[in-house]
Amino acid sequence: MAMEMRLPVARKPLSERLGRDTKKHLVVPGDTITTDTGFMRGHGTYMGEEKLIASVAGSVERVNKLICVKALKTRYIGEVGDIVVGRITEVQQKRWKVETNSRLDSVLLLSSMNLPGGELRRRSAEDELAMRGFLQEGDLISVQAVFSDGAVSLHTRSLKYGKLGQGVLVQVSPSLVKRQKTHFHDLPCGASVILGNNGFIWIYPTPEHKEEEAGGFIANLEPVSLADREVISRLRNCIISLVTQRMMLYDTSILYCYEASLPHQIKDILKPEIMEEIVMETRQRLLEQEG
Amino acid sequence: MKETPLSNCERRFLLRAIEEKKRLDGRQTYDYRNIRISFGTDYGCCIVELGKTRVLGQVSCELVSPKLNRATEGILFFNLELSQMAAPAFEPGRQSDLLVKLNRLMERCLRNSKCIDTESLCVVAGEKVWQIRVDLHLLNHDGNIIDAASIAAIVALCHFRRPDVSVQGDEVTLYTPEERDPVPLSIHHMPICVSFAFFQQGTYLLVDPNEREERVMDGLLVIAMNKHREICTIQSSGGIMLLKDQVLRCSKIAGVKVAEITELILKALENDQKVRKEGGKFGFAESIANQRITAFKMEKAPIDTSDVEEKAEEIIAEAEPPSEVVSTPVLWTPGTAQIGEGVENSWGDLEDSEKEDDEGGGDQAIILDGIKMDTGVEVSDIGSQGGPKHWKNGADAPIILSDSEEEEMIILEPDKNPKKIRTQTTSAKQEKAPSKKPVKRRKKKRAAN
Repeated sequence: MAMEMRLPVARKPLSERLGRDTKKHLVVPGDTITTDTGFMRGHGTYMGEEKLIASVAGSVERVNKLICVKALKTRYIGEVGDIVVGRITEVQQKRWKVETNSRLDSVLLLSSMNLPGGELRRRSAEDELAMRGFLQEGDLISVQAVFSDGAVSLHTRSLKYGKLGQGVLVQVSPSLVKRQKTHFHDLPCGASVILGNNGFIWIYPTPEHKEEEAGGFIANLEPVSLADREVISRLRNCIISLVTQRMMLYDTSILYCYEASLPHQIKDILKPEIMEEIVMETRQRLLEQEG
Repeated sequence: MKETPLSNCERRFLLRAIEEKKRLDGRQTYDYRNIRISFGTDYGCCIVELGKTRVLGQVSCELVSPKLNRATEGILFFNLELSQMAAPAFEPGRQSDLLVKLNRLMERCLRNSKCIDTESLCVVAGEKVWQIRVDLHLLNHDGNIIDAASIAAIVALCHFRRPDVSVQGDEVTLYTPEERDPVPLSIHHMPICVSFAFFQQGTYLLVDPNEREERVMDGLLVIAMNKHREICTIQSSGGIMLLKDQVLRCSKIAGVKVAEITELILKALENDQKVRKEGGKFGFAESIANQRITAFKMEKAPIDTSDVEEKAEEIIAEAEPPSEVVSTPVLWTPGTAQIGEGVENSWGDLEDSEKEDDEGGGDQAIILDGIKMDTGVEVSDIGSQGGPKHWKNGADAPIILSDSEEEEMIILEPDKNPKKIRTQTTSAKQEKAPSKKPVKRRKKKRAAN
């Protein structure tokens, strides 16, 4: 049986690998951002003895007179209008508790949930009793977030949100998912991906036809073909390699990374040297495309 | 922080695997994980590692006045704490259920079984007795806290020495450790808990569940036994129905396991005793293995490379030509050959100890070359070469109880064709040539080529 052995090696500093000139202004807690008192302080900063000091580790962002520090490794902080992928942890009286990698459990009220068939009516007591029939503990759903009082409140008003069927979930840091107009992508390679703003990424086989929108209740449990499965595994490994190299995730970067990884075997993508190679190529293509 | 919920597919996978008698880490149904016991410098302090679950046990004593209704008996006090570093879900206020359950079980197992002779802890009846306090801290939670905690408690108690006391008439003299050697506690027997996890309403059972298995289990049966096959405590939780013969079977298994564990404990105690007597080094710092290949820091070994070239030529001329490609040593200047790429590695030391029948003196350290540390190298059985060579300095070597036998030494001979070596199909083609050839600097073919 063939065996592979890897020995530990000192990690190369990231800047070498990146070779970029645009250096972000990175700070750690306690660093002075500026001594100029003309700025307003935003999230992640505090005023200490005439200086503006950072309280989280991240990059400094400045909008006119407002300075804030955006933390790089954090739990998901909900914004209104975000798309998130979450897992049901509890079924309560008129709501579900959803785990979305945030500080508090998110809530999905019964009234914010689509009814099967897409009907619009007031939720009655029978609906309450049938809650467990809709969504149970452990189910994965995609919803839109409405931020309130610290705990994220979710709703699935449109029919494209709802329970997710077969696919692969990848959990990454929320700061790596780029904010875009749409988070549901159908990649030309044959799979679809939902980039949740909370860092949960769902990869699933593209449904052949847009079935009558059942509001995402009937989870499609037909067996997925091998070809589709391979595409999905490859995508998953690509996403993991992008994350390891701290690249922003959006449809273009994922697609380029997928194409760059085609010459390698799926399981080889996770090896450090191949990861580096693929991501460098991706970065190259992205730069070319921009510039 | 809350615990991350277990996904449905993980749950199903675990249950399905258990139905097929497979466990995630490859153990058999009745196998325990590796138990490792190490002692601290003080008497009564020990760390027990059951796989990745770690428990720290510390015993201390104090002279106090006895309880009113038990004037001639010492006091035993047990305390188990779930440290916040053990799991993200453990918070100062949150884990009360589990904590209460574990503490109760510990107390029943150790106090009610009368394993410690409390009468011997009495100094002056009705006035002064010893209060022995056992503190257990969970340092890492990877399943089966009970077993690890009970082992830690009993080991710490066996290891502990209390100050000597003598009573002359009305006078009580407490001797410091310098004046008189401290005295061990009198322990009748060693009760050890064995946990059984049940799945699918009692159809399948596993011994020593790890953290994932605990999450999907239906119920837990804990049997505390000593090596004389006396049951000290038995507790079933989770609400599953167990049949009589299941319980009997579990107790038989527990008997076997307890005998093994007791033996391990006695050996560990003996070793520690020996080391302390001989004046060797003991304590937690010594039990950390830093001579392993995976420990990064190693001292550089001085190597004499002045006559490498001649020796190399000799040996190459004598040996058979290898069937596969071997690159020549890279000589920068006469007398300076490149051995590694400047990264510290400990292969040299390993080869030292193995190859007594060595050739070329100074070249020993370079034999296992080309293990370029950041590429995958294909070797077979190499793991076993690096095996248990590290305890040669003895000092308080932790004993490892393992159910699997896979340590075998293989020393490669020069004429042994690289049959043992299989090459990978990807571009990172590296081989381990027969070890007698010194100074092989492999041209590393990067995947980028």
